[in-house]
This record gives sequence, C-alpha cells and structure tokens, in this order.
Amino acid sequence: MLTTAASVLVDATLLTFTLALASLGLAIVFGLIGVINMGHGAMLTLGAYITWYSMSAGAPFVIAVLLAASCVALVGLALEHFIIRHFYDRPFDTLLITWGFFLVTTEVIKIVFGTDIHNVPNPLPGAINIGFQEVPAYRTLLAVFTLVLILAIGLVFYRTGLGIKIRALTQNREMASLLGLDIGRTYKLVFVSGSFLAGLAGALISPMLSIDPYIGMVFLVRAFFVVIVGGIGQILGGTLIGSFLIGGSETFFALFSTQTFAQTVVFALAIIILRFRPLGVLSTRSKS
Amino acid sequence: MSTLQAASPPVQAIRRLGASETGLAIVALVGFLLLPVFVSGYPIYILPQYMLYGVMAMSLALLWGVGGILSIGQAGFFAFGGYIIGLCFKWIAIVNPAYAALLIAPAMGAALAAVLGYFLFRAGVRAAYFVLVTLAISIIVEQVAVSQSQWTGGWNGMYIPRMSVTLGSIVEISLFDDAPMYYVVLTIVAVTYGLLRWLLAGKFGKVLIGIRENEDRVISLGFDTSLYKTIAFMVSGALAALAGALYGTHAGFVSPSLGGVLFSTEVVVWVAIGGRSSLLGALLAAIVVAWLSNYLSALVPKYWQLVIGIVFVAVIIYFKGGVAGAFARYGARSNAGNGANG
Repeated sequence: MLTTAASVLVDATLLTFTLALASLGLAIVFGLIGVINMGHGAMLTLGAYITWYSMSAGAPFVIAVLLAASCVALVGLALEHFIIRHFYDRPFDTLLITWGFFLVTTEVIKIVFGTDIHNVPNPLPGAINIGFQEVPAYRTLLAVFTLVLILAIGLVFYRTGLGIKIRALTQNREMASLLGLDIGRTYKLVFVSGSFLAGLAGALISPMLSIDPYIGMVFLVRAFFVVIVGGIGQILGGTLIGSFLIGGSETFFALFSTQTFAQTVVFALAIIILRFRPLGVLSTRSKS
Repeated sequence: MSTLQAASPPVQAIRRLGASETGLAIVALVGFLLLPVFVSGYPIYILPQYMLYGVMAMSLALLWGVGGILSIGQAGFFAFGGYIIGLCFKWIAIVNPAYAALLIAPAMGAALAAVLGYFLFRAGVRAAYFVLVTLAISIIVEQVAVSQSQWTGGWNGMYIPRMSVTLGSIVEISLFDDAPMYYVVLTIVAVTYGLLRWLLAGKFGKVLIGIRENEDRVISLGFDTSLYKTIAFMVSGALAALAGALYGTHAGFVSPSLGGVLFSTEVVVWVAIGGRSSLLGALLAAIVVAWLSNYLSALVPKYWQLVIGIVFVAVIIYFKGGVAGAFARYGARSNAGNGANG
C-alpha cells in the first residue's frame, strides 16, 4: 500500500514536469502576448520528428534536440513575421490562423516523414534507485532539466533588462511603447521563444512516446488546460501548479481505470475548475 | 425591400432573387428535388450524406456566424448521434428504433451542450477558451468510442441497419433504396433550414447577433447572454446529433474517427468557405466541398488535406465572409448601381 502510494507520487511528479515542459511555450506566448498558439501542438510534433530524423541520420541526441528546437524556432519566426504580427489586435483570428498552421504543418509532416510510427531510442536507459523505488533515469533527468529551465526563465524574467521590458509590455503596452520600447521586436522575440520551447519540448519528450503525426493534438489540449487551470500570466508557478493538478489527477485516476478514461475524467475536471475559477486556481478575486 | 424599378424588370427580378438568400434556397431546393429524375446511382446514394454534413455545417454557422462562438467539436456531437442510433437498433425493439433514435439523439446532444454551456458560459469564459474545450469534446468522443468497445465496437466501428418508415404496425416503407432515403433526408434538411431561418429571424437571432457584435451592451440591455449562448449551443448540439443519427443509418457504419478533431475541423473549413454568417452558404459549401474532397482525395490523396488547410488559412486572412460574403457584396453593389435601396 505504501509502495503504491510512493510509486503514484513518483509517477505524478514525473508527469507533472513532462506536462510543464510541454506547456511552457504555450504559457509564455499566451501569458505575455495574448496569442493562443494552437500551432503549439504541431510545433511539438515537428520537434519530435526532427529529433527522430536527425538521430536516424546519425546525429547524437543532444545535437538532434538542439537542431529540432532551432528549426521549430525558425518556423515560428516565419509564421510570426509573415502572418501573426499583422493580427495581434485580433486575438480570435490569431487563434484561427494558428489552427490553420496546425493543419498545414501536420499535413506537411505527413507528406515529408510519412504516417508510419517512429521511435527515438532512449538516450539514457536504465533506472535510478532512490531508496524505495526505481525511477526511470531519462524521465528523472527530464524533470530536473524542466525545473532548471523554469528557474532560468524566471531569472531572465525577473532579473534582467529584457525581463523588465517584457513585463512592462504586458502591464501597459501603450506606456511601454511611449517609453521607447520596440513592441514589434519584443512580441516577435516572445513568439519565437515560445516556438523554440515547443520544439525543445517535442524533442525531449520524443524518446518517451511513439511518434505519429498527431501526438501534438492531445498535448495541445493538455497544455491548454495546464495553462488555464494554473492561470494565464502566472507563467512559472501557474504552469507548475496546473501541470501538477492535471498530471497528478491523471495519474490518480489511471489507478482505477484505463489511461484514456483517466484523461477524459481530467478534461471534465478541468472544465469544472474553469467554471468556478475562470482565471485559474492561483487567481485572486480582485483581478476581475 | 424596395419596389421594382421600371427598367428591365425581369433582369432585376432575377438579380434580386439571386442576391436574396431565400430565393437561392428555393432554387437549390427545386434543383435537389428534381435531381433524382435526371440522375441515378452513386450521386443519389451519396448526396444525402453530404446534405447531413450540411446540417452539421449549419449547426456551426448558427453558433459561429451568428453568435460568434466557434466550436471545433461539432463532429463529436455528430458521431455521438451516430452511435446513439446504432445502440437504439440494438436495444429498442418495441417501437421503431430509428424513431426513438431521432428523438433521443438530439435530446442527448442538447443535454450535453446544456451541461457544457452551463459550465462555460455561466463562468463567462472567453470565446477562445470555448474553442479549446470543444476541441477536448472531439478528443473525448473519439477516445471513448475507441476505449468502450463493448458498446461501440472500438476501432472496428459499429454497423447500423438502414431505417424504415413505419406507421403503427400496418405501414412499413423500407428506405433501403437510394431514392426514398434521398427524399426523406432532403425533407429533413429543408425543414431544418427553414426552422433555423425562422428562429434566427426573430428575437433570438437578433440577441445572438448582438452578443457577437457587443456582448457587454446586450448584457446592459438586460439580456441574460449566457442563457442565450447556452440555448444556441444546445440547438447546435441537437442538430449535429440529429444529423449524425441520420448519417449513421444512411451510411450503415460509424467509427471513432467520425467524431475526431480532423472531421470537426473540416466542418469549420466548410463553414469558413461558405461564409460563416449564411446558413445556406454553410449548407451548400459542406455539400460542394465534401463532394470535391471525395473526388480529389482519390486523385491526390497526399495533398488534399494540405490544400484544405491552406484554403482555410487564406479564407481567414483574406475572405472573412467566405463565398456568401462575396455574393452579398456583389448583390449590394449591383443594387446600389441600380439606385435601389436594397
């Protein structure tokens, strides 16, 4: 009984960090520049495919991951530059356009890479013994990496000039622009960073899944629920708490039923949370 | 409507008929009524399915075009209806199972939409959140259909008999042949279209448009906008489920992908192309694009979905009104050119 509890806790923790990693890009773009990037799911998929492709061409895992993240960031740059930047004042249209981007990217992936299922070899097979429980080594490393990544983003956000600029922009766009901040460039930087993070997440998660052109779809919905349950704009703490609630309850319900059923229950749960806390669990009532 | 000008009245009459949606709808209806006289075989078999897609498209046009609420979950309701009619054929023997299903499916669709609508619209969540929740509906329907295989047949799908029309125990008309089924579906589609037009012409439609244009103002006028939005979603869910039930008995087969995200998105594409604020545009676009899809996906299977995606993006960026919007603009221009205040 105790060992079951411990293993559930470990599973939930690992899933929490995986979800947080998959959601960071979405959370940043949504929280800072108000774009719900539906293409986030396709960007994850693309990152996974590029990792698989580079590795089957002989590249080592780390290089493949960096390549994947950079390529996806480039795709994000092109998308932002040619289309999204003209629609920042029409958030609903950006949602539709990024959904279109999702469709087009998924189809391009199918045409270029085919529809077969692929697997990325686990770069760190084996398990770590943490006293009472064997934990898969790669997933543990990924959890630690995600934590470091979140701290690093926090550092950029709260301790650098760039972070101040970005925060100024989200708090008061007009005033920030009057003070000489280049809004267009900052928006672009945020969108491209979000794309980079999406590609990075897809690449890092790829060894844990079978890769098919639609893996990004469920991740998109899960990431979205993570972001709104955690609270928009609460980029770091909110993402972690949202991931914990979504991932933790998913692990918990999966104890009693199948994985898919657990996911269904969690989606329903997220909708209920949305009813009573439309701004996320961290939100304060005063923030209308 | 203004009076006809003296100059070349027939030309103008035709133009006005073309510009007004009712006229076009009547032309389309007559065309569909006469079609089986000239054509037989595959087109008459397959058209009812496309018309039912059209009903699903209208259910989205009502939500998105009129109310400004986009759903990427309509196919979820559609598949839900399809599975319901399948289960009715398995479980109900006392009355005509198809009749039962045609009542139960829309009722369940409306109930599901009511629950979701309550949770989302009452909380006043943003339209964008609603989109993602409806995306989740599609994923859930697909996953449940796959995993609950004792009821749904899982990946293998579910076979459904063709319905028949009965009156008591005396009259029984089988709809197994294509033409009778075609006319039954056409009647239902036409009646649905008429009822929707009637519904939207009244206060309900005006309030919905008000919500799309400026929800805060509608609230300040004293309307309970979340109630209106929930009702719109219920009507939409009921219609999509009804269409799905008829589709199930027509096609004879439903499978999980019928409720999936891809198919839901295709509905959005139809409506975007047809013109989201026109019911007729949505209906006809669904029929035409589904027809083209069927034809072109055999011709260029690899690229067809890509083309659909690119067209979708192009419509969103360049032609927000879709085909119906272009027609309306043309109509307005030609009316203005003739000096009539259309």
